[in-house]
Order: sequence, then structure tokens, then C-alpha cells
Amino acid sequence: MGFFTPWFLAGLAAAGIPIYFHLLRRHRSVPKPFSSLMFFERTTQSSIKHRRLRYWKLLALRLALLILLALAFAGPYVLEEAFGPGSARRLVVLVIDNSFSMRAEGRLERAKQEARSVLDGLPAGAEVQVAALADRLEFQTLPTSDRGELAAAIDAIQASDARSSYGELARALRAAAETARMPLEVHFFSDLQQSSMPPSFVDLQLAPSTRFLLHPAADDLAPNFAVESVHAPAKIFRQAQAAVQATIAGFGTEAATIPVTLSVNGKRVETLEAQVPANGRATVEFRSFEAAYGFNRCEVSIDAADALADDNRYLFAIERSDPEEALFLHRRRGGRDLVYFRAALEASRNAAFRLQPVEIARAGTIDPARFSVVVLSDPGALPAGLERSLEQYLRLGGGLLIAAGSATARTGRIPVADLPVLEARYASRQGERFFLAGHSDSSHPAVAVENLWDGVKFYLTVGLDPANVRTVTRLAGGGPLLVEKAVGEGRALIFASTFDNVANDFPLHPGFVAFVERTMNYLGGVDTRTSVKRVGDFADLRTSGAQGQVVEVIGPDGRRELSLTEAAAAASFELTRTGFYEFRRPNGRNEMVAVNADRRESSLAVVPEETRRLWENTGEGTVEAGPTGGTNRRPRPLWWYVLLLALAAAVAESLVAARYLAVERGTA
Amino acid sequence: MDQRFLDPAILANISGLDLVAKTVVDGFIAGLHRSPDFGFSQEFAEYRAYSVGDDLRHVDWNVFARTERCYLKRYRGETNTLLTVLLDASASMGYTSHGVTKMDYARYLAASLVYLANRQRDAAGLIVFDDEVRNYVRPSTRQGQLARLLHAIDDAEPRARTDFAKPFVQFQEFLKRRGIVAVVSDFFADARRIVKTIEPLRFRGNEVIVFHVLDPEEIRPRLSEPAILVDMETGEQLEVSPEYAAGEYRRRIEAHLERLATEARKAGLDYFLLPTHRPLDAALREYLAIRQGRM
Repeated sequence: MGFFTPWFLAGLAAAGIPIYFHLLRRHRSVPKPFSSLMFFERTTQSSIKHRRLRYWKLLALRLALLILLALAFAGPYVLEEAFGPGSARRLVVLVIDNSFSMRAEGRLERAKQEARSVLDGLPAGAEVQVAALADRLEFQTLPTSDRGELAAAIDAIQASDARSSYGELARALRAAAETARMPLEVHFFSDLQQSSMPPSFVDLQLAPSTRFLLHPAADDLAPNFAVESVHAPAKIFRQAQAAVQATIAGFGTEAATIPVTLSVNGKRVETLEAQVPANGRATVEFRSFEAAYGFNRCEVSIDAADALADDNRYLFAIERSDPEEALFLHRRRGGRDLVYFRAALEASRNAAFRLQPVEIARAGTIDPARFSVVVLSDPGALPAGLERSLEQYLRLGGGLLIAAGSATARTGRIPVADLPVLEARYASRQGERFFLAGHSDSSHPAVAVENLWDGVKFYLTVGLDPANVRTVTRLAGGGPLLVEKAVGEGRALIFASTFDNVANDFPLHPGFVAFVERTMNYLGGVDTRTSVKRVGDFADLRTSGAQGQVVEVIGPDGRRELSLTEAAAAASFELTRTGFYEFRRPNGRNEMVAVNADRRESSLAVVPEETRRLWENTGEGTVEAGPTGGTNRRPRPLWWYVLLLALAAAVAESLVAARYLAVERGTA
Repeated sequence: MDQRFLDPAILANISGLDLVAKTVVDGFIAGLHRSPDFGFSQEFAEYRAYSVGDDLRHVDWNVFARTERCYLKRYRGETNTLLTVLLDASASMGYTSHGVTKMDYARYLAASLVYLANRQRDAAGLIVFDDEVRNYVRPSTRQGQLARLLHAIDDAEPRARTDFAKPFVQFQEFLKRRGIVAVVSDFFADARRIVKTIEPLRFRGNEVIVFHVLDPEEIRPRLSEPAILVDMETGEQLEVSPEYAAGEYRRRIEAHLERLATEARKAGLDYFLLPTHRPLDAALREYLAIRQGRM
């Protein structure tokens, strides 16, 4: 037995306090004169002794209370058998790596065979648990000695598409060692990929009670080619835009010429040859191909006889559609704002939108839901019905661009976004003459262009309240120039000036084209849709916490991946398999995502022998000696029990003291 | 005069024993329904048949003329008596638990008795004793007697031990004439022995009133913790527990009081217990009742 904080034992000196009050102080009673002692007898001494005896009970309880408190704070512990190598009982954990790379050359089968051999070699009655490791450790069984169940669990392990993480393995084993309350003997059957090692070796540290044994399922580096990446637009609006670039990588390979094939919807489109240097990369580009309207399931594959065949194909999806409709609402026909805006939009390289101008006064019957983006050009006050329908459109995920000029400033508020207009600021001829744009938030897609605002002069801006909005660009004077406000699932960008070359000369600058293109793409969701993801990535199902809107996820096998509850409430979805996933959203914007295995799994280089040895020694034997000087015993804290005893002593002391008090009251 | 002036705690604030006595007695008389001031007023009291030896001057000759029988006409205040106060001044009388010592209380009582007797034209005397007779004022109705008595009472300070045997033998010499003897003491001695000692005073035709003065704490002591008690007469020390004081001691003192009262009644003594927090009028009423009984 020992103490974690023995200096608290100095608190035992407090035991002197009740001793002083009970013994020393009691004997200092001042003699009291009394008229006659004829009715008192010497025998009364016995009653005093009796009373003192009872006071001793109180004293003892108080001493016990103080001593127990001091002991509790000192942190007593006893040493108990810990999970050391000397312990006879231990839990054997058979961990089989089933990551994507284990698909190579029957590595998984070899690992499972090894696991079965280890299982057969264990003594009868040993408690064993089977687990599979990919991006996380998943236990397949509870601790059991049933060999049949364990063998079945080993056989049931299938290769996954996920990337293995040895850091995650170490973390999970540390947690398991804490909960198992017995030593662990871990057998890890893996191809021991170098690429799965954590950045820091410290992350591989295991609990002191863990014995770690590696069983390599691969002997040496196996040459492997892989389609490492493919660059293709997620959405095309014209046939000419469908250019595809593919990168072919070789891991531990000699220089070779690899045939690369592009297939669209299962149909071979074109085959090119890639000259891949030794242990290097090569890029091939498919210039154009016929893409059908809608979602196209595309694949770039290589014809190479290598160790891992599953990374020889790379999936991606391309959506072909007509340009999306954008509604341009302006106050009067023939306005220059429409001219400049349309010109900028049509000048962009990938014109994803077709602009439909409508005067606000005539827009009462238009359904905004038909449009990907709605532009309000200095709208002033909107008709109530139109504003309501635009608000509804915004909440359901629409994109809205509002240019606020003098007409809007007069109403005192930005319609739909419901922001107050603080003032209309005019640059005077005698004063500053114009305003300039200041700092921009370069992380925002709409303004992530260098020198976007260079030389742009603003003669009129409206003062926006920066509260509850994201300020994207500020004026040099400090006020907001461009702000974003999220409303429901949608978002609105408010530009504190106009597009008509009157309130500013922005439409005359080249940055205007980039601004219009990026802003429209951002609001229309064109840029944010990526058609390629990796196994283990998450797909966002909804941008806000609003629930009730069902998002359907169709997996690679054509089945729904989510239950109805999950479809109505889940904020994101983990992509666990390679293949094509379809996302069907309530606003009609469907997506297709191609999921590929992490290409770091394609590198089959194994962990060096020295590193393996170090790794195996991160468990038992490396821990520093505990309070016992040994490694197989650990302290078990007792302060909790001592504190309970102290509590009991306090209660008993209160009861005894209350009884004495009752006696004294009775005599009063 | 207000009844509250008979409270010993209030009397303790009055300087001068004569004023204390006057306050007590006047307050006491004012509280009675009929004035017991007997004196020499010629207020008719009763007729009594003549017996041999009666003074013929008191025969009502008008009644004799009508009835031919001799009757004596008696008047109130016609007879004076003699009061002797035996005042215990032993050390134990100095005890107090609330400001008025037993000795103070006994002084107020003795002063009030002699003052009342003086108003009644009764001869009053005083014997102060502890283990022997310390002061003696012969009973008299002379001018200045009250001042002498009050002075002697005022001089009585508690000291020494109580020993009834020795001074009571001497009392026999002082009490030649019959009268009323008021013994004021705390009587910390065996009840039977006390009564045996006092009883001879009764044999000489005296009316004996035993005023037993005790502090309330002596009857019901209160101890919050064990205490060392020191006997005020012997200096003996004893550690006493609250339980004993609350239990056994109370039983013993109550038994003592009961025995003393019983023995006194058996011996024809008038026993009267006076806790020191009790007003003095009860004691005076007892004295007047005894005096009336004698006439």
C-alpha cells in the first residue's frame, strides 16, 4: 500500500484539535462554589467517568473523521496484479487487415490462413477475439473460447475498399486494453503497407499490458500500376467541354507503355497509350467524347498485369445538361444592368446559365423554383406575393443575387434577405469622388480571383448592416460591399451597388466577367458539386440543420443506403464502397458521385523490418517501472472507499454529538 | 405601593435595609383586603366569658346588668407579643445563582419581620448565629429598637459553618418570655437533627416559624457540563456530572425538604420554604397568621 500524494498526511496533525478540546480543555474547568455538598457523594465520580467514556466515543469518531480525510487526500492505493507479462490470463486479439490493398495477390486469404494457424496454436480455453482493420478497427466477435465461432468470424472477413490506418489500430487497442482489464496479446495479419503508417511513430504506442505480434501477409514490394486520378468536369453544357485527363502512376514498377481506356456508360470510347516512366507517373488526355444528357458513368482503366488489379480503373461521373435557367428580375425594360450582366455571363468559358430577364412588375406569375439562380437588380420594393415566393425559393435551397442601388436604399431594406439598409452613400464631386473596394475574403468562391476589384470606382453604395451576415468584400472605407446570408437551405449574395455602370464602373472592368461567372456558379451549385470522392469521405446531405426534407442515397448496387429516418435527418453520409452513388434531393437537384479507393493503398511498399521490430516493442516491457518497481502490478486507488468511511464517520459523529446535545438540553 | 416591590430582585436595588423593610411591609399591607394593623385602637373584637384571674377592668358591666353574667370585652390590638428572629449567617447563606444571595433574602425577611412587629408595637429581638451566637439584640419596644435591629441585621455577614446544636442551647437562655420565634436558615443538615434542635424552643410556649431559605439552583441545579463544586462552608471539592445533578441530587434534596417539613409539622413547628426568587409577602402573611393565632 502507498500514497499518491503522501504530503497530505501532514493533515493528520489536525487530529490534535479534538484531542485538545476533549481532554486538555475539559480539565480546565473553573471550580464553582456551592452552598453544601451534603447531597453529593463520592459515588458521583463514577457517573463522570461514565460520561467521559461516552465523550471518548465522540472523540474517537472525530479523530477517525480527520484521519480518514487526511488519508483520502493522500491518495492511498494498493498494488494489484496488472496486465503484465507475468499474468497468466490474457485476451488474444486476432486482427486481420482487410483494407483495399489486401485485395492484391490473395493477401487477404494468406492473412486469414495465418490467423487460423495462430488460433489453432492457442491453448484450449484461451479467450480470443477477432477483429478486422480498415480505416477503423471492427471487432467481429466478443471474447470467446469457441473455436468454431472464431474460425467462422475469420472466414467471414472480406476485403473492403477502405484505406488501412495503423494509427487507428493502435488507438483502438489502447482503448481495448483499458476496458478488457486483462493483458492483451494482439496478432496483426497485414500486408504492412508503409503508406498506412501514421505521421508520427508515437501514434503506434500500445498499452503496457499489450503484447503485439506482426504476421506479414506480403513479403516484399510488389510492382503495381494504378489510375491515380482523373480530372473531368462534373457537369458539361456543351459537347466540346468534355475533356478528360487521367494520371497513371507506377509504384515500384519499371518503365512501361500502358494502354489507357476511357469508357462511358460501359461503352469503350477511346484507348490511348501512356508512357509511364519507372516508378513514375504519366498523364493522358481524352479530348472529346460523346456524352449523353443526364448522368454518365465514366471509367478510365488501364490494361496492366500487376499485383493489385482493383486500382486499375478509376470511376468518375459527368452530367450533361443544357445551361441552367437564371432569372434576372429588373425594374424597367432596356436597363443597362441587363446588358452588362448578360454580356458577362455569355462571355464566360463554361456558360452554365441561360439568362431570362423579367420585369419585376410582370413577374407575379413566375415560379422561381424553375430557376437555378435568381438575380434581383436594384429591385426596390417587391410585390408581396413575389417576395414570399422568392423567400420560399431561398429557404428550399435556391441561390439569390441582389444588387442594391438607390431604389432599394429608398425602401430601407433589402427584400427577401430581409436586411436593413443603413444609408445610401454617394461619393461627392468635391470630396472623395469615388469609393474603392477593400479587403476580400479570398476563401469565398465568388471573389477568389486575384485583382478582381482593381480600379473599380464606386459612386453609390448602400450601407449594409454587417451583423448576422458573412462579409465577403469590404469597401476601403470599411462598410460591406458584398455580403452573404444563409436562409434555410439557400444562400443570398447582396452586392451593395448595381450592375448598370452608373453607381460604379465595375461592368467595364474585366473582373466583372469573372465575378458574374463565379457568383452564378456558386449560387447555382455548379462548382461545389464534385463527382469524384474517395472511400471514407462523407457527402453532405443538407447544408442546414433543417430536417424533414428527405434525401435519397442510392448505392453502387442500386439499393437505398439510408432508412427513412436517416434520409430525413442525417446531415452527412459516409461513402464506404467504390462505385457510383446517386443523391436525390428534394429540390430536384440530383447528383451522382463516383467513389474510388484511396490511391495511397496502391503503393504496396511494406514497412521496413527495423520499424516492425520497434512497433512490436511499443507494448509490454517498454513501460517505465511503476510504484512497485515491477511491470506487472499497478496501483489501485482507494481514496473513494476512504472517503466513504469518512462520510460514515461524519454521520456517526453528528448522531453522537446530537445525543449529547439532547442530554444537555434536558438538564437545562 | 405595588406588589412588585416585594420581589427580592427589585429589593436588591434598594439601598438601606430600613427602606427595604418599609417598602416590603407597606406594600404588603396595601395588598391586604383588610388592614391587619392591630395596635391600640379600641376596635371591638369579641366577648369572652370571665374566668378566675381575669382583670375585672375588662368586664363589660352593661352586659352584666342585662344578663347578670360576667363577660370580658376584647379589642383588637389589645395584646402585644414578642418576636425573636434567629438569623443563620453561615457561609452557605452566601450562595446565589441570580444576584440575590440567600443571606440578602434572609436579611430582607428578617428586616421586614421586625419592621412589621415594630409597627404592631410588638417587641422584636434578633439573634444572629452560625456555629455560635454572633449577635444578640434583646427584644424590646423601646425607642430606637428598630434601628438597632436593622443595624444588626445589616451587619450579619455569611461566614463559618452552621452548627445548630451549640447556638440553640444558648437561645434557651435568651428566650425567657414566650413569643414568636422565626428561624431563618438554609438548614443544610440532617432534618431530624434540625428539628430536634429547634423543638425545645416550642416547649417554652413559643410559636416557632421555620423559614427555609434556599436558592432555586439548590433545589433544581442546572449543569451543562461536568463541574467541580466547592463546598462554601468546608471547602471540599467534588466533580459533579450534569446527569447526577439533574437526577440523583434532585431526588435527594426533594426528599430532604419533604422530611424536614414532615418532622417540623410533627414537632408543632410552622415550616415554610422560601426560594429566593419568591416575593416576601408570603412569608409575612405566614407570620401574621401565626401572630393572630396567638391572640
